[in-house]
Amino acid sequence: MLADLLQNSLDGLTAGAAYALFALGFTLIFGVLRRANLAYGPAIMFGCYAATWTHLNFGAGLLLLAVITLAGAVLAGAYVERLCFAPHRGGSAIAAMVASFALWMQFEELATIVMPHHLYAFPALYDGPPLALGPFTLRIDGLVMLATAIAACVLLWWILYRSRFGLAVRAVIEQPTAASLAGINAPRVFVRVFALASALGGIAGYLVVASHGQITPMLGMWSTLKGLLAMMLGGLGSLPGAVLGGLALGLIEAHSQWYFGPQWRDLIAYLLLFVLLAARVPWMTTRSAS
Amino acid sequence: MDDYAIGVLTNIGLFSFLALSAYLLLVAGEMSFGQQAFFGVGAYAGGILTALYGWPLPFAALAAMALGALAQFLVGLPTLRLRGLYFAMATLAAAEMFRIVFELVHWRVERNGELAGPDGTQGFRGIRWIFEHGIEPIDYLFLVYALLAVILLLLVWVERSRLGAVLRGVGLDPELAASVGIDVHKAKLGVAAAAGALAALGGVLYAHHNTYIEPRNFDIMLGVHSLAYALIGGLGTAFGPLLGVLLDIGVLEGTRLFHGYRMIVFGGLVALLLVFRPRGLLDERMVLWIRRRFS
Amino acid sequence: MSLLGVQDVVTAYGKIEALKGVSLDVAQGSITCLLGPNGAGKTTLMMSIAGILKPKRGRIVFEGQSIAGTPPHAIVAKGVALVPENRLVFAAMTVLENLQAGAYQRADQKSVGEDIERMFTRFPRLKERAGQQAGTLSGGEQQMLAVARALMSRPKLLLMDEPSLGLAPLVVEEIFRIVTELHQDGVSIFLVEQNAHMALKVAQHFYLMEQGKVTFSGDPGSLAEDEVIRRAYLGSAQA
Repeated sequence: MLADLLQNSLDGLTAGAAYALFALGFTLIFGVLRRANLAYGPAIMFGCYAATWTHLNFGAGLLLLAVITLAGAVLAGAYVERLCFAPHRGGSAIAAMVASFALWMQFEELATIVMPHHLYAFPALYDGPPLALGPFTLRIDGLVMLATAIAACVLLWWILYRSRFGLAVRAVIEQPTAASLAGINAPRVFVRVFALASALGGIAGYLVVASHGQITPMLGMWSTLKGLLAMMLGGLGSLPGAVLGGLALGLIEAHSQWYFGPQWRDLIAYLLLFVLLAARVPWMTTRSAS
Repeated sequence: MDDYAIGVLTNIGLFSFLALSAYLLLVAGEMSFGQQAFFGVGAYAGGILTALYGWPLPFAALAAMALGALAQFLVGLPTLRLRGLYFAMATLAAAEMFRIVFELVHWRVERNGELAGPDGTQGFRGIRWIFEHGIEPIDYLFLVYALLAVILLLLVWVERSRLGAVLRGVGLDPELAASVGIDVHKAKLGVAAAAGALAALGGVLYAHHNTYIEPRNFDIMLGVHSLAYALIGGLGTAFGPLLGVLLDIGVLEGTRLFHGYRMIVFGGLVALLLVFRPRGLLDERMVLWIRRRFS
Repeated sequence: MSLLGVQDVVTAYGKIEALKGVSLDVAQGSITCLLGPNGAGKTTLMMSIAGILKPKRGRIVFEGQSIAGTPPHAIVAKGVALVPENRLVFAAMTVLENLQAGAYQRADQKSVGEDIERMFTRFPRLKERAGQQAGTLSGGEQQMLAVARALMSRPKLLLMDEPSLGLAPLVVEEIFRIVTELHQDGVSIFLVEQNAHMALKVAQHFYLMEQGKVTFSGDPGSLAEDEVIRRAYLGSAQA
């Protein structure tokens, strides 16, 4: 029993690491723009599909695929930023978010047009057997995911707290007016944060797809939902919250699935979010959401 | 009129109910990612009542509307005090819960010697009340539009009335509305119930038109679409959402223009349009202009 | 010589015009003061000059260059810095980081360190609290920080929106002492104040603003002080 608990927790943390990265991306964008980018997952999917396509047509090594995924995600993210967020900067948040839905639809259809099969194989990150540590099994790709998530968090922390750019980002998040008055070019910060968030998402997406060894067009919606859920669970607008929310979501899902099955797993996660929101738990609802 | 055209027109009508339901909440100032859930509630409830218990469609529709209103009211009760993205996420979570419930529900009853009713992820087939009562597709089309016309008349009448002004005020500036004594929460709950009823009506009509429904029909994409229809059509009038539906299902799908990349075109159109018209084609300013021109 | 010229500026929030055609000048090397009741549009004017708001009509000229509609960070680069109403310090960032943020536009990042030292000399209490989060500072200290932050961009014109708001009299005196010091150092200052008494003691020229327009322009001697104070707080429509 305890062994199951620990094993599930391990698996949950691994999945949660990916969710944490997605949530970080959402939170960065929300922090500076006060809006949710619903095309975030689909942009990541665009990057992953670009890598898949490259692999199918030219064959490519893991590293190249990772680079392509990252580049694709950042490119797609820039497209979204220009079309959905830059034009509505002082204006309607709903318009921006609905516009990002619209681009979500575009990315999904594009994926199914260029690569019509529902499922494609993706080169696995690691082909060999999982590591056995006593009664537990640890998948190597899971370890890579965890390690990458930790590395990404450290990198993000360094960027935000030790670099000049990070100073500007924190200023814009905290006091957008005062930041502009201090000479910070807020629009340029938005663009760069978007790129950073897309890159984070691209890394996460690549790892997810490489861990599963396959990709489907559902990746867009899936990563969006997980990222949003994790972000909200951890408290909208908080970066540490995003990480904790992601890990928590992973743990909740792993345990729910073990005891109740896949449908209940999702049901419980949504129920938890709904209850927390309905109760207007303070840590979750303090940031102004436009 | 050929069957294809009848089918497209019927779909335009059906999804107009859903778009209108998203529109009502948008006007009241809330963005809902979850109207598809109440569309589904109407579909399942209506289907169960007619296919399993032999209820006539009109009564099943009324019951479905009541259930949809109740469901949205209950979801709204704890959540309508939330604003912006918080409310949107709550509706998303609720809608996904409904969809999963649809996946888990097995309500099988024996009828005419075999099992009928919702079968979880396998769906719910055999919602054949229309066909069992000899209603032709063209008749159904008229029925759908007759109901839509009644709803539109009702909405336009409300819009012109003081109630409509109050609701719009609540949407545009809730603090101001509260300061003049309007109970914002109660107003939003009322709108929510109406939205739930509308979505459910669309759902029951949809279920009987298709004769088969499955939980996958009521996913987030449907909700996203209805919100997009409402917003791009325009928030200035109840005809706005219809315009949105017409643009997508009528023009793009119906004419098979851009066949194969309809979503790419529609998606791009929505995003571009919103840049210039953040409150849609028929936004409040346009509606005012039209009224002045033709009065 | 006019450092800043505001010519017939109209700024609106949607349909509501907060500035209905404001014209005034800030002379080079002077302390100019803007007084007026709440809601007159003083903050709107400051925000329009600083580039946060874009005027619907009119011109804003700084050192001969038109700056109306220029984005705020570019206006900082030109040499205009605003100490905003309510200070708006970056509460979660340290005092030091706040100062660094103020220097963001500076091309010569190396001399920023020297300037920070200079700020600490001028504002010793900030030096004591250099590593502290700005949100933990007292009101007066936050005001000092906001001024220091603005000064980090080495502005030629310092705009100050109600620096004495919510502060104890002793602190207010200190603020105005600093204003005088800055003026002696060659910084031109355009100051919005509710505390008309203190403001008139330091200003060379003052304007009165009511309901979106300038209603009086003169030097501190030209209008009886109690008349000025009455109009600053209540507006001239009062009996």
